[in-house]
Amino acid sequence: MSELALETCPERRRWWSNPIWRRYARSRLRPQALGVGLLLIWISAGFLFFFTRTLGAYRFKLGVVDAERAPLVPLLVLQAILLFFVGTGQVAGGITAEADEGTLDYQRLSPMRPLAKVLGYLLGLPLREWCLFGATLPFTAWGLWRGEVGVGTWLPVYAALVSSAILYHLTGLVAGTVVKNRRWAFLISLGAVFLLYTVIPQAAKFGLVFFKYLTLWPVIDENLANLLPREAGGVWRLAKSFEPEVRFFGLRFSEAVFTLFSQGVLSLTLGVMLWRRWRRAESHLLGKGWALGVFGWMQLVLLGNALPLIEPGLLFPSRQFSRRYLPKENWEPAVGEALGMIGLYGLVTLLLMVVLTVIITPSVETQVRGLRRGHRLGWRRLPWFSDAASSFPFVVLMALVGAAGWTVFAERLMGSSWFAGHPLGAQAGPTLALVLLGAGLSCQAILEGWGGRRLFLAAVFAGVVPLLAGGIVGTVGSRSLVSATWLVGLSPVAAPGYAVACLLPTVDWPPEVALALPRAFWFWQGLTGLLGCWLLVRLRQIRRARAVAVAATGRGAV
Amino acid sequence: MSSAAIQIKDLRVDYGDFVAVDDVSLEVGAGEIFGLVGPNGAGKTSTFRVLATLMEPTYGSVRLAGVDIFEEPEAARRVMGYMPDLAPVPSDLKVWEFLDFFAEAHALGSAGLRRERVEECLGQVNLLEKRGVYCQTLSRGQTQRLVLAKTLLHRPRVLILDEPASGMDPLSRRQLRLALRGLAAGGATVIVSSHILSELAEMCTSLCVMQRGRLLASGTVDEVRGLLGRVERTVSVGVLEREAEALAWLEGRAQVAEAQRVGGRITFRWSGDAREQAGLLAGLVREEFLVCAWEEQKSSFEEILMDVAAAAETPALEV
Repeated sequence: MSELALETCPERRRWWSNPIWRRYARSRLRPQALGVGLLLIWISAGFLFFFTRTLGAYRFKLGVVDAERAPLVPLLVLQAILLFFVGTGQVAGGITAEADEGTLDYQRLSPMRPLAKVLGYLLGLPLREWCLFGATLPFTAWGLWRGEVGVGTWLPVYAALVSSAILYHLTGLVAGTVVKNRRWAFLISLGAVFLLYTVIPQAAKFGLVFFKYLTLWPVIDENLANLLPREAGGVWRLAKSFEPEVRFFGLRFSEAVFTLFSQGVLSLTLGVMLWRRWRRAESHLLGKGWALGVFGWMQLVLLGNALPLIEPGLLFPSRQFSRRYLPKENWEPAVGEALGMIGLYGLVTLLLMVVLTVIITPSVETQVRGLRRGHRLGWRRLPWFSDAASSFPFVVLMALVGAAGWTVFAERLMGSSWFAGHPLGAQAGPTLALVLLGAGLSCQAILEGWGGRRLFLAAVFAGVVPLLAGGIVGTVGSRSLVSATWLVGLSPVAAPGYAVACLLPTVDWPPEVALALPRAFWFWQGLTGLLGCWLLVRLRQIRRARAVAVAATGRGAV
Repeated sequence: MSSAAIQIKDLRVDYGDFVAVDDVSLEVGAGEIFGLVGPNGAGKTSTFRVLATLMEPTYGSVRLAGVDIFEEPEAARRVMGYMPDLAPVPSDLKVWEFLDFFAEAHALGSAGLRRERVEECLGQVNLLEKRGVYCQTLSRGQTQRLVLAKTLLHRPRVLILDEPASGMDPLSRRQLRLALRGLAAGGATVIVSSHILSELAEMCTSLCVMQRGRLLASGTVDEVRGLLGRVERTVSVGVLEREAEALAWLEGRAQVAEAQRVGGRITFRWSGDAREQAGLLAGLVREEFLVCAWEEQKSSFEEILMDVAAAAETPALEV
C-alpha cells in the first residue's frame, strides 16, 4: 500500500455492500437480540396462525381451504404493525440517535454518494424488523398455499405493504433528520403513520380521495375478498362490486397500481429531501422548484381522483359513509356536503401551501449568508432558485396554482347535475385566490422578515386563538353567534370555509349569522390584504437594508 | 497551481451576526505539521469543520491536496481524515467493527485487506488488545485513540485533528506526537489544534494564532512568539552583598520596571533589546556589584496566548 492516500474507488462498490447497511446488519442482527425478537415474533405469529385456523376449522366448521385462509388477515395486521410502527420508529429514533451521539458527522465524511447514504440508512436501520417480518412469512406462505390464494391477489397486497413501509420509513428518516430530539422524532414518525390510518382516510371520504392511496387500505379493499374465507369473502366481494376502480381523470387503474404510483412519487419527494440534507447539511429540505412541483402535483392528483367521481355521486360523504350498501332510492347529496367538501379542499390546499412555504423560505441567517456570498462574488442578485433567495414569487405561484385547483374543484362540483341552480359566480376564482394569497404571503413575509418564532406566535394568536375564543363565545347562546362568527373569521384557517359560505349562500344559517358571515369574511380579508401589503413593503425594506449593510461592511448587521 | 497541501483563501464563516472566521487565508505545505491555536471562540473548530466538508462557509475557497472541497466534496473526503474535538463513537459497535465500517466506506479492498489495515491502525494507537470490546466501554483517552485510528485508516494526505490529545495520558500523547511526525515524514500534511500549547510547540513545524476569527500571526514557533510576544521580559539577577543598593541602581534605569527582591534575587521587567541588556549587565559590574547570576525569562507560549485571550476584551491586536 502507498504511504500516502490509498486510491479508493467507491464507485466500484456493489449495491449490496453498502457500508452503512452492513454496519447495521452487524449491530442490529446480533444473535442475542435477534434471537429474542424471533422468539417473540414466532410466538405471536404462531398464536395467530394456529388460533384463527383452529377457530375456523373447529368452531365455525369451515372447509380446509377456508380454514387455511383464516390466519392471513391477522398475520397481515401483525406484519403491518411490525414494519409501519416498529420499523419506522426505529428509523426515526436511530438516525436521531446518531445525530445525538455525534457519529452522524462521520457518515457525512464517508466518501459515499448521498443517495448511497440514504439507502444505507433506509434499509439498514429497520433491518431487524424486516428480518422479523421475514420470520412471519412461512406462516403466511402456508396460508396462501393451502388456502389456494392466487398470485394476483397476494402479490399486489405485499407489493403495497412493502411500498407503504418504505414510504413510512422515509417519513421517519426525514423526521429524524429534521427533529433534533430522539424521542420527538420517534413520536412524530409514529404519529404520522397513525394519522395516515385514522384521520387521512376520513378526509378521503370528504372528496380528497387521493389521500387514501398513501395507505394500504385501497389494495386491501381490492383484494380482501380473496384473502378471507370464501363465505366472508363473498360478502366483501358483493360490497366491493358497488365501488369503482381508481379513476384518474379519464383513466382507470387498479387500486394496487395507483397506490404504488402515488406512494412512489411521495417516496421520491422524501428521498430528494434526504438527498439534499446529505449533500449539504444546511440546505432546505426541498428546493423552490421542487416545492412548486410537489404542490402542483398534489393539486393534479386531488382533482384527478375527485372529478370523475362527482357525476356518479361517489365522491360525497353521505355516499362514502354508506358505500358498502346500495344507495337509497332517490338518494342525492345535500348542498351542505358540497360546501363542506369545497371548504376542506381549500383548507388542505392552504395548509399544504403553508408547509411548503415554511420549507422554502430562507431564515434571516441564510439570507444574510447568501447576500454576503453574492456581494463577495459580485452577483447583481441572488439566483432565483437558491435557498437564500426570497420565496415570494414561488408562494405567489403556489397560491395561484392552488386557487386554480380549488376553483376547478368547486366549479365542477357545483356545476354538476346534482346541484343545478347553484352556480358558482365569476368572482369565485379571484375570491379563492385572495384567501390563499393573503394567508400565504403574510406567512412568507413574517418568516422571511422576522423569523420562525414570530411566525409561530402569529400562527397561535391569529390562527388558533380566534377559533378557540369563537368556539367559547358561540356556546354562550344564540345572541353571541354573531360575535363568534366575527371572532372565528379572524383565523386564516376559517377563511376557506367562510369564502365558500359567501360564494354559495345556500345553507340555512340563522339570519343574523347569514348576515354577519360575509361581512366578517370581507372585513378580515380586507384587513389581511392590507396587513399582507404592509408586511411585504416592510420585508422589501428589511431585505434592502440587509443588502446595503452587507455591501457597506461585509458583515450585514441585521 | 501552488504546491501547498492546504490552501485556504478568503474563508469566512458567519453564524447570524457573529463572524466566526473572518476572511482567513492560509497555505500549508506538504509534509508540515501545522498548529492552529487560539482561545475558545477564536474560530478554530469552525475552520476545521469547513475543511472537513461538514459545513459550508459564507464564502471562500479551500483546496486540500489540490482538490476543491466545495466542487468535489467526495474526492476531498478521500484525501482527508478528520478527527473532531471530543470525538464520539457509536455505542452499538465493537472496536474492530467501527474501524471496518470506515475501511469499507473508503473501499479499502477485500475483507482480508481491511482486517490487515484495521489491525495495523489499532497497533499504531496501541489498542490491539481492545479490538473485540464495545466502543462505549473505552475510556476517554482510549476513545480518542480509537478515533485517531479511524482517521488514519485510509492514509489520508491531509489530517485535520481538532484537539486530538484531549483526554490522553502522557504516554499516549507521546505516541500521538510520534505518529504524526511519522505521517508527516511520509508526506502527509497535518493541521492540528490544541489547548496544550507547549505540546503544539514541540510537535508543529509551523503554526498560526487565531483570535476572533482572524489570523494574528503565522510562521514557525519562534517567529510567532516573536510576533506576538511582549518585548518586555522578566530578568532575574543574583547579587552578592549590597542588594538594596543594586535594587535602587536598577530602579534608576529607564527600561527597568517593577524591580523587587524575590528569594535572594532581584527581578524586574526589562523592555530593552539584547544589546541594551548586555550594557545593563556591564553597568552593574562597573558599579562593582558582585553579580553572581543573570537570567532572562522569556514569556512562555501559554503566557503569550493568555495575553491574546485577554486582548479579546479589548480591540483586536494588530500585528
